[in-house]
Amino acid sequence: MTTINQNCYDSVTEAIRREAAKLLQEQTVAAVVGYVAGRRPGTASPAVAKSAEDAEKLVFSPACVNNLALFLSKAKKGIVPKGKTAIVAKGCDLRALAGLIGESQLNREDLVVIGVACAGVFSAAGERSLPLSDANIAAKCRECTIHTPEGVDVVAGTLPQLPDFDPVEAKELARLEAMTPQERWAFWKEHFSRCIRCMACRQICPFCYCEQCLCDRNRPQAVESSPRPAGNLAWHIVRAMHLAGRCAGCAECERSCPMDIPLNLLNRRMAQELKEQYQYEAGTTPQEKGPLNQYREDDDQSFIK
Amino acid sequence: MTFAISQTNLRLLVDQLIQDGIFVVGPRRSGSMVLYEPLSKGEALTLDALPRRSAKELFFPVCEDILTYERVEGKMAVRDVDRAHYPETVLVGAPPCDAASPAILDSVFSWDYLDDFYLERRKKTTIIGMGCTRGDDACFCSAVGLAPDSVAGSDLFLTPLPGDEYACQVITEKGRSLTADYPGLFHEQSPVDPLPAPKQEMKQLNLERIKNWLDTHFDDPLWEKFADICAGCGACAFVCPACHCFDINDEGSSEKGTRRKHWDACGFGKFTNHASGHNPRDVQNKRYRNRIMHKFKYYNDKFGKTLCTGCGRCVRACPVGIDIAGILAEIDAK
Amino acid sequence: MCDNGKNVYLPHLATIDAIVDETPDVRTLRLVFQDEATRESFAFRAGQFAEYSAFGAGESTFCIASAPTRKGYIECCFRSVGRVTEALRRLEVGEAIGVRGPYGNSFPIEEFYGKNLVFVAGGIALPPLRTVIWNCLDLREKFGEITIVYGARSEADLVYKRELAEWAERSDVRLVKCVDPGGNSPAWDGKVGFVPNVLEEAAPSAENTVALVCGPPIMIKFTLPVLERLGFSDDRIYTTLENRMKCGIGKCGRCNVGNVYVCKDGPVFTAAQVKAMPQEF
Repeated sequence: MTTINQNCYDSVTEAIRREAAKLLQEQTVAAVVGYVAGRRPGTASPAVAKSAEDAEKLVFSPACVNNLALFLSKAKKGIVPKGKTAIVAKGCDLRALAGLIGESQLNREDLVVIGVACAGVFSAAGERSLPLSDANIAAKCRECTIHTPEGVDVVAGTLPQLPDFDPVEAKELARLEAMTPQERWAFWKEHFSRCIRCMACRQICPFCYCEQCLCDRNRPQAVESSPRPAGNLAWHIVRAMHLAGRCAGCAECERSCPMDIPLNLLNRRMAQELKEQYQYEAGTTPQEKGPLNQYREDDDQSFIK
Repeated sequence: MTFAISQTNLRLLVDQLIQDGIFVVGPRRSGSMVLYEPLSKGEALTLDALPRRSAKELFFPVCEDILTYERVEGKMAVRDVDRAHYPETVLVGAPPCDAASPAILDSVFSWDYLDDFYLERRKKTTIIGMGCTRGDDACFCSAVGLAPDSVAGSDLFLTPLPGDEYACQVITEKGRSLTADYPGLFHEQSPVDPLPAPKQEMKQLNLERIKNWLDTHFDDPLWEKFADICAGCGACAFVCPACHCFDINDEGSSEKGTRRKHWDACGFGKFTNHASGHNPRDVQNKRYRNRIMHKFKYYNDKFGKTLCTGCGRCVRACPVGIDIAGILAEIDAK
Repeated sequence: MCDNGKNVYLPHLATIDAIVDETPDVRTLRLVFQDEATRESFAFRAGQFAEYSAFGAGESTFCIASAPTRKGYIECCFRSVGRVTEALRRLEVGEAIGVRGPYGNSFPIEEFYGKNLVFVAGGIALPPLRTVIWNCLDLREKFGEITIVYGARSEADLVYKRELAEWAERSDVRLVKCVDPGGNSPAWDGKVGFVPNVLEEAAPSAENTVALVCGPPIMIKFTLPVLERLGFSDDRIYTTLENRMKCGIGKCGRCNVGNVYVCKDGPVFTAAQVKAMPQEF
């Protein structure tokens, strides 16, 4: 089994604490959004550090699964104090920040981004008492291409030599692609039938910041609100479509789903479509506006019959 | 002598119940997780993992029809749902944290107005609880007054013994009649020590002290500390064996459709939102405060019971790592 | 309360007998139960509420706005602001709606016998007091002086206009009506000003008097100090809380203010009770 050297997380933690304390002491920022350790071993929670004392509690470990960009979105307004904010960002989280900047939700000038050299985080079902390895690493990390984020203000820590992991998600995606439409339909129907509409997928998503979500609207009722097959299917399709060209692949929706619905497969499939159709990849640079958010006179109109 | 049943006979019991037309529900492997699902044979019973969702859905389903309506020849007609045909049911293999919850929920579903959907299922269900040997660091049943070997809420209680046996305790008349119906499957044996219960990280909480603090700290900066990061989803409420909030909605047209009752959660921003736009719980930490207050104060004020069995599901499911057990310990230490 | 085996969520069917448009967006429906036995047996007290359903849209909570002393029908009054109220508004005379109830507590009218009554209402919140007003007027000799202070943003926003005219005509009722500054036409014969100020000016005596207050939160907030200055103690001021509800029968878990379930312990509370609750409504 391939295990990742744990020391790298300690060096990231140290660097985050140093940087956060400095930023808060010098009042460069009003708050640092980071992680603190949970009560249970192998767990961590998002936290907003507002003092140098708070900064001492910040950590980075394989338990730091959350995409903290969520806490800078409109949906979480009020949690982070006004003023300049520093945020701890893994490579995958950074893409969400870039997306939110692109959608005019954030100003780059108002942010200090503490990018972390991230070797990976735990999967939702992974054993948290063991070091990060092939057995308990999140699927997204197995195919990560941005272990060391670029375009950040500070990079915390350095990466150890990382093993090559088998890309399980890409394989699963390929398996789905190889299915007949009927088989694929059955696959998703089965998964969506388990949805209990807890909305964790929506609430945890940095891009689900709509003040009035379509699925909460009832005049007219676009999506049935009860956890039944019709409404569940409608909700997940609406979700996938609304995130197409915006989702930056942090896979928080999938991690948060208490019913283990592999939502990131949908997101990835949509991202793939965007890449093939428009040579576009969400969240790589902040300035870009996604192809589905803009109109150009030379857009392909041939689908309108 | 100890009254006992073997692993094999427990599965045989499930088979025989099913043969006799009883609807049997128990933990069953379902994809990547274990869920309480109808069993078609005893073999499917999966007793090595805590089901992802609690057993409350057996009595209070995720979503259920409460009436149908249809305009017939210009005249609206409303039709009740037939509850007399709910099957006689046996819930088998519920650990104490799940077996205990229906007895807690009975209070709210039967005070003054009787919710017959819940109560009819409750009346027709026999609960075979099972001592727990598989806790993890999120479990805290012992901290809220239950225990891995607590018989509360069970009609029949099985304690795992060494050698694939279960000691069988008859708790209620329902449980007695179940053992009487299938006498051949149970046997007497000399007493042995049960398998050890898992050790829990959490020490016993003083629920009275916690309630006293809640009585006087509706406004407290701790609420922001505990729950500012709450993402506002319903994962905690939906996996909880005791959360019972629901919504009622019509689905269909104005000509024909169904009125449904389905799970809702006090964590949702829209939960208390008025049509006017006014929202009494306008920020997330107030919604989370309601969750704690409801479980450890309001329900106690109303019914003298705590609305939590310490199953730890919310701790495991929370996408931002909010840890109710840790919060309670912090309040207890005040 | 209900027999074992009954479906407590099952509504009675009622036919819309009459529609009155109180304002451009506020409508009264007069409802007659289709089932004769229900027509006979449906009894309620002033202040109780019901769940009204427009089939296909769902249920909405309003007080029963007619008086229990008026038999054979009930009335509800609502502003079109959401899915259900808009659907209710689309229904015509002769069509059916569902009614569950009556639910909740009520105004302790018997305790008011021999006392003077001051009603203070704002805007769309007159209906929960209108049921009490007619109840008391129908038993007029049991009460002392009756004062009604009612105001709305503008003349158009006043509900029950014909009844206001009727009350104004009566010698045994003192009606003080008002509209916010700018809400009046040149022909307006009432006061111009906000309800709390108009109430203070009208200065009803607090001696042997109970006050019943319903209105938007902002009106209540400024009215309570006025009543205090006039000499009303909190236990002689009654109001209703209007939280979002679904089941109406103490199960669904959303209408609570602290450990008080508005649907079961309310909706009628004294100001003293409201002040003792956590301020989360």
